[in-house]
Amino acid sequence: MSAILEVHDVRKSYRLGGISVSALSGISFNVMKGEFLTIFGPSGSGKSTLLHLLGGLDRPDAGKILIDGSDILELGDDDLAQLRLTKIGFVFQFFNLLPRLTALENVELPLVIAGLSERETQERARKMLKFVGLETREKHRPHELSGGEQQRVAIARALITNPAIILADEPTGNLDTKTGREIVQLMKSLNEEKKQTFIVVTHDPQIAQEAHRTVHLKDGLIETISENSPQARNQ
Amino acid sequence: MMRVSKILEMAAANLKQRKLRTSLTTLGVIIGITTIIGIASLGEGFRFEIKQRMQSGFELNVLIVFPGSLTAGFGEPFTRSELDNIRNISNVNLATGMKTLASAEVYKENGTRLRALTVAGVNFSEMQQMLPKRFIVAAGNFPSENDTNTIVLGFRAGTNNSIPVVDVGENVTMSASFQVNGTKFTRNETLTVAGILVEGGTAGITNFDYWAFIPSEKAAEMAGGESYQIILIQINDTQKASQTAREVENTFTNPYRVSVFVPSSFEQQVDNILNLLQIFLTAIGAISLLVAGIGIMNIMTVSVMERTREVGILKAIGAKSRTVLSMFLAEAITIGIIGGLIGIVTGYGVSYGLASMLSSFIQPQQQNTLFSAPEREPLVITPKFTLEWTIGAFIFAIIICIIFGLYPARKASKLNPVEALRYE
Repeated sequence: MSAILEVHDVRKSYRLGGISVSALSGISFNVMKGEFLTIFGPSGSGKSTLLHLLGGLDRPDAGKILIDGSDILELGDDDLAQLRLTKIGFVFQFFNLLPRLTALENVELPLVIAGLSERETQERARKMLKFVGLETREKHRPHELSGGEQQRVAIARALITNPAIILADEPTGNLDTKTGREIVQLMKSLNEEKKQTFIVVTHDPQIAQEAHRTVHLKDGLIETISENSPQARNQ
Repeated sequence: MMRVSKILEMAAANLKQRKLRTSLTTLGVIIGITTIIGIASLGEGFRFEIKQRMQSGFELNVLIVFPGSLTAGFGEPFTRSELDNIRNISNVNLATGMKTLASAEVYKENGTRLRALTVAGVNFSEMQQMLPKRFIVAAGNFPSENDTNTIVLGFRAGTNNSIPVVDVGENVTMSASFQVNGTKFTRNETLTVAGILVEGGTAGITNFDYWAFIPSEKAAEMAGGESYQIILIQINDTQKASQTAREVENTFTNPYRVSVFVPSSFEQQVDNILNLLQIFLTAIGAISLLVAGIGIMNIMTVSVMERTREVGILKAIGAKSRTVLSMFLAEAITIGIIGGLIGIVTGYGVSYGLASMLSSFIQPQQQNTLFSAPEREPLVITPKFTLEWTIGAFIFAIIICIIFGLYPARKASKLNPVEALRYE
């Protein structure tokens, strides 16, 4: 298997009130194509910062991140946006759907931004909503949907462009345990069926071990990278 | 790249979402455009009315020559040789002299005074040639060459409320005072009314409604000599009016001896003044639109702040900076388009309201002076719809919206996606 994501000695710090705070202090690992990887760690360990870098939402201060072969430090803002549009799908803790738009319109949005015809965007969005089990909810706005349903819409939106990598930032963090499990199961089945790479940030050890591998982060550094046994994954 | 139709569709949806805010912002644009269109269409209507009046008051191919100048005062009347010099100028087709009689009064046989304020001795055939559209009789005829004891009355001198006060063929008495070699004397002449002129209507130098005309031979005989207070010149080429006026001046050795009135340059000057006035008033309208623009900037800046998270989401799922920019700009442009369209309609509406208000304010003058507007003809301003102003104002509205929408839209497009997503 080849690496779809390569991370070499990545560093990132923030300025907080004039003081430089190091969020990531030298991180290196690879993610294989079709892998389901979790990034696990307590809050403040730098998980979200790392995820943002992996998705090209931000650039590292130092080091190298290759997404499907292209170095994000060398890409301009527009190219980076294009990369996010075509190769990356984001799923967030707070769903981040546009409240004004219906479920269908939210799912359509990446294709609309890409400039596809209305017929095509609607057709593909309907298919995707059906795929996540929300075909009866397409006209509903986010506030008319449950948390689990909203997250399914968000996953459908992340998948609509058929991206190589799906990045999820605490996708179950705002859901009850049962719904959270359903969402994880959905992501796992997508990973198996569509062979898409999933990188999920979590602070829940139960969810962390559902992945092929888990990157353990602490204070901006990798503690270990653990392989999870198939038994543990299927629990 | 995102489709333009989709960008506009989303902009419209966003604006609809915030109805009150959108309406108030649009109202600013509406007021600005209403002001501009209102003033412009009134101004164009005013200009049209003034031009109409000037054109009916003057003939563009007829120059009017007075003795003396504004600085030196009225001079001695022109002599026959001075008139002949003018006739020799190449662009001059025809020149005729008018001899006005000082303090002349015309009475009916029963003693009623006619409203003839000026009596002038003229060459009737030359006058008809000079002003073929004005010097026309409504009743009777122009006298023939040897009919010297005749008089032709201006419309209002011979009628009252369009009803004749004197009949063609009736005898009237003209009394005029003269001063020859320092001695003053008055002469009374009995003359037969040969005709009454058509109504001139509008104020102007060639409006003869309050005039009376007698044959120039008669005037010369009464005044004891041939001389002219006014020379009318018909020119061949109206484009060369100013040049011809200079040539007329050059036939006199004393530059203060003569003043030439050129209707086309007068019209030009009035036009310039009206232009200036309109520019000034439009500037006021433009300022109100500028204020509206600041309103747009204000509201959009707030809107961008409120939608920071939305911008973060859009960027996270792959929207480029210029996509975000165009989405926000589309909202500003939509406000400009809607405000502009409504403003154009209300602008023309307001101008009609204002026009009728103004028209009722401007009462016709009642003085019976030479240049006064005749009674029963109030100034009526009809607003003019002009495509140039309409399109210009519409484009201006959109440009203002783009200019003032650009800053907040840029601000939105430059948001850092990570920070924007963190925004609560």
